[in-house]
Order: sequence, then structure tokens, then C-alpha cells
Amino acid sequence: MGAALLVFGYALAVAWSVPVLLSRLTRHGVSARLGLAAWLTAMASVLASAGAAVVLLAGAAIAGWSRLAEAVCRSVTGRACTPVVYRGAVFEVPLGAAALAAALTAIVLVWRYGRGMRRAGQRARAHAEAARITGRRLPMKGDSAGGTGRRVGGGATVVLEAPQPAAYCVPGRPAAIVLTSGALAVLDRAQLGAVLAHERAHLAGRHHLLISLSRGLATSFPRVPVFSRGPAEVARLAEMCADDAAARRTGRPALLSALLAMGTGTAVPAAALAATGGPVTARVHRLLHPPRRGRHARYAAALACLTILLASASGLVTVFAGPIAGHFLPFG
Amino acid sequence: MRGFGDLESVIMHMVWDHDSPVTVRELLGELRHERSIAYTTVMSTMDNLHRKGWLAREKDGKAYRYTATASREEYSARLMREALDGGGDPEMVLSHFVAQMGGEESEVLRTVVRRLTGGRS
Repeated sequence: MGAALLVFGYALAVAWSVPVLLSRLTRHGVSARLGLAAWLTAMASVLASAGAAVVLLAGAAIAGWSRLAEAVCRSVTGRACTPVVYRGAVFEVPLGAAALAAALTAIVLVWRYGRGMRRAGQRARAHAEAARITGRRLPMKGDSAGGTGRRVGGGATVVLEAPQPAAYCVPGRPAAIVLTSGALAVLDRAQLGAVLAHERAHLAGRHHLLISLSRGLATSFPRVPVFSRGPAEVARLAEMCADDAAARRTGRPALLSALLAMGTGTAVPAAALAATGGPVTARVHRLLHPPRRGRHARYAAALACLTILLASASGLVTVFAGPIAGHFLPFG
Repeated sequence: MRGFGDLESVIMHMVWDHDSPVTVRELLGELRHERSIAYTTVMSTMDNLHRKGWLAREKDGKAYRYTATASREEYSARLMREALDGGGDPEMVLSHFVAQMGGEESEVLRTVVRRLTGGRS
């Protein structure tokens, strides 16, 4: 009982305090990849310790069950209610009911999430197929501007006839990268390479899974900050990870000017720019003013430490909660 | 070399380029200008497209005459709608290169671009 409370307390503390810390550490997108890892680890840590608390709770209820049963027997046979019955009725029965309710809720949530994922997967497959049939294959020389003609997951790059500039990737097997003719009209060759490298990085990093997982958690626990703020943060950091991959491949100016061209629908020559905060401008700003090396190292170290701490803490708390509770709490 | 899946795309584009309903044999004739391909391959591909709802067909003597159920532009527009609003399914994750922006943010970007291009021309 006491152990379960301690573990649950840890989960609550992480769920409420870590988002504040993490959004400060990842605001400028310094080491986006580590930031993404830290957010995901924080979510996993909270989930794992909340789950462990439920298991401990159920354990406490089961351990007390025999005493309860014995007490009920005795009271039925006509003897007076002992303190044991009282204790059983007050603690063990509600505890067991709570653990059972939590477990059932978890099963329903996971099942609902799985159903949503399957449906989304079907829609994505249908979308990718329709795009492959309706669109035209991007000529390979444009494709190779990204450095290689490699395809991710056997996916194709197709061009749809549409005036508005748009570029996106559809996850699945095979995946697809879709561009509009409006996008091709505002991008030069190097910029096109940057856009393709960015989308390929999304597919290679399986960012859609991370985003859909964090959305599923946010829907299940809308009032818990580490989950409710997850989707926006994960999406933002995934964009920045993909930007980093594209910048490594095609250089920062090509990516930056591609971002501006696609964002405004006007052709933008690659050159130095000045910028200002929404998620797109944050990406622009980051590309314009890359963090200095020392700062980068400090942020990276802080994020790495936090990730390791979170990853190990939920396990340690669960293991040591019993002994600690036995020592310091009046019940246990 | 194009895969088998591409054939569906090639055939749909050919059907769209025709003004009138076409038969398998007519398309086979055109396809053979650029590749060697069996009649049965084209037939089964068109049968698939019919089954998936891309092609409508009606009997004309012994053969079928095929037409597209919607124009290329209609399909493109439908795809773009789905891509931009997720087709009403919040769980379908499409990673756009540039996310939809609020009016203020896109104005800021536009200003940046104006300054850039204005300074150059």
C-alpha cells in the first residue's frame, strides 16, 4: 500500500515537473534528437511507474485477502467484528476494486488505440495508393538532387497536379512522398533535394509512430501535462530532427529557402535571412542562428542526463518503494 | 523498369487521356509502342482497377469498354483535401514539410521573404 503510493507519487511528480523542465531545455531545438528521446523517456517512465503502482496496489489487496476472508467467516458464524474485518473493508476491498478498474481501463484504452491505429493505417495505405495512381513519378534527376536516388521503404515520390505548394510523406508499406506541381513551381533543384531529404528523414525515423503514440496518450490522459503537451512537442522536435538530417545532406541555405518558399508560396533564392514564434518560424530561426558549440554541448549533456535518470528512476523507485515504505510509513 | 503497381498508374493516365471509353485491346496497342506486355496482364490490371472503383465498364459486344469514374483533377483535389485536413481522421499522420500556419506566422514569413527578394531585385 505504502509502496504503491510512493511509486504513484513518483509518477505524478515526473508527469507534472518534467514537462516544464523539458520545454525549457528543448525550446530552441538544441540537439533535437536528444530532446525527442528525453520526452519519450519521460512518457514511458510515467506510464511504467503508474503501471507498477497499480500492480503493487493489486498485490497489497491480494495479500490482505485471506485475512479478510477469515474475518468474514468469523463474523458470519456469529462472533463480533474484529479490527481485521474493519481494516479489510476499509483498505483491501476498495484497493482491489481500484486496481481492477485501473487494469480494465488500461485494456480498453489500449484496445481503442489499436483500433484507431489500424483504421489510420488503412486510410494511409489507400491515400498512398491513390496518390501513386493519380500522380506522376518524379523524374529521377530531381530525386537524385537529394544525394541519392534511394527510396525509403520501397516508397515512391509522386507529383500531383495541384496549384497550392505542398509536400508530405504518407507512412506505410510502401510509403510515399507526395509533392504538388505547385511545390515544384517554387522550388529549385537544391531546395527540392532538401524537401525530399526532410521527408525521407521522417519516414526513416518512423516519426509518424512517435506522433500517433503521443496523440493516443494525450487522448487517454488529457489532464496529465507530460501526455497532454506531448504531441505538440514530439511533432515539433521530429520536424527539427528531419531538418537536421536535410541540412546535413543539402546544406542549411537550401533547406531554409525551401522552407520559406513552401511557407509563402513564392520562390525564394537561397541566401542569408533575418527571422522572428510559431513552430515554422522556430525552425527558420534555428536554421538561421545555429546554437554555438559550447551551448550545444551543455544542452545535450543536460538532456542526456535527464533521459538516463528518467529511464532508470522508474525501475529503482519500483524496486525500493517496498523497503522505503516499510521504514517510513505507518502502514505498508 | 517499372513495377507492376506502376502499370495501374500508367493505364489510368492513358484512360484519362482518352476522350471516349477504351477497350483492353486499344490500350494494349498503345502500351506496346514502349514495352512488350501481355494482353492478360493489361486485362487483369484493368479488372483490378474496376474492382477498386477507379474504372467503370460496360459490355460492348464481346469486350468491355472502360471509362474513369472520376477525372484526374477530381482525384487530385480529393487527395489534396485529405492531405490538408487529414480527411477528418485525426489519427492519420501525414508529415507535411510546412505545417499549416496561423495568419500571423505566415505574415512574418512573407515579410522575411519580401525583405530578401526586395533587397535583391
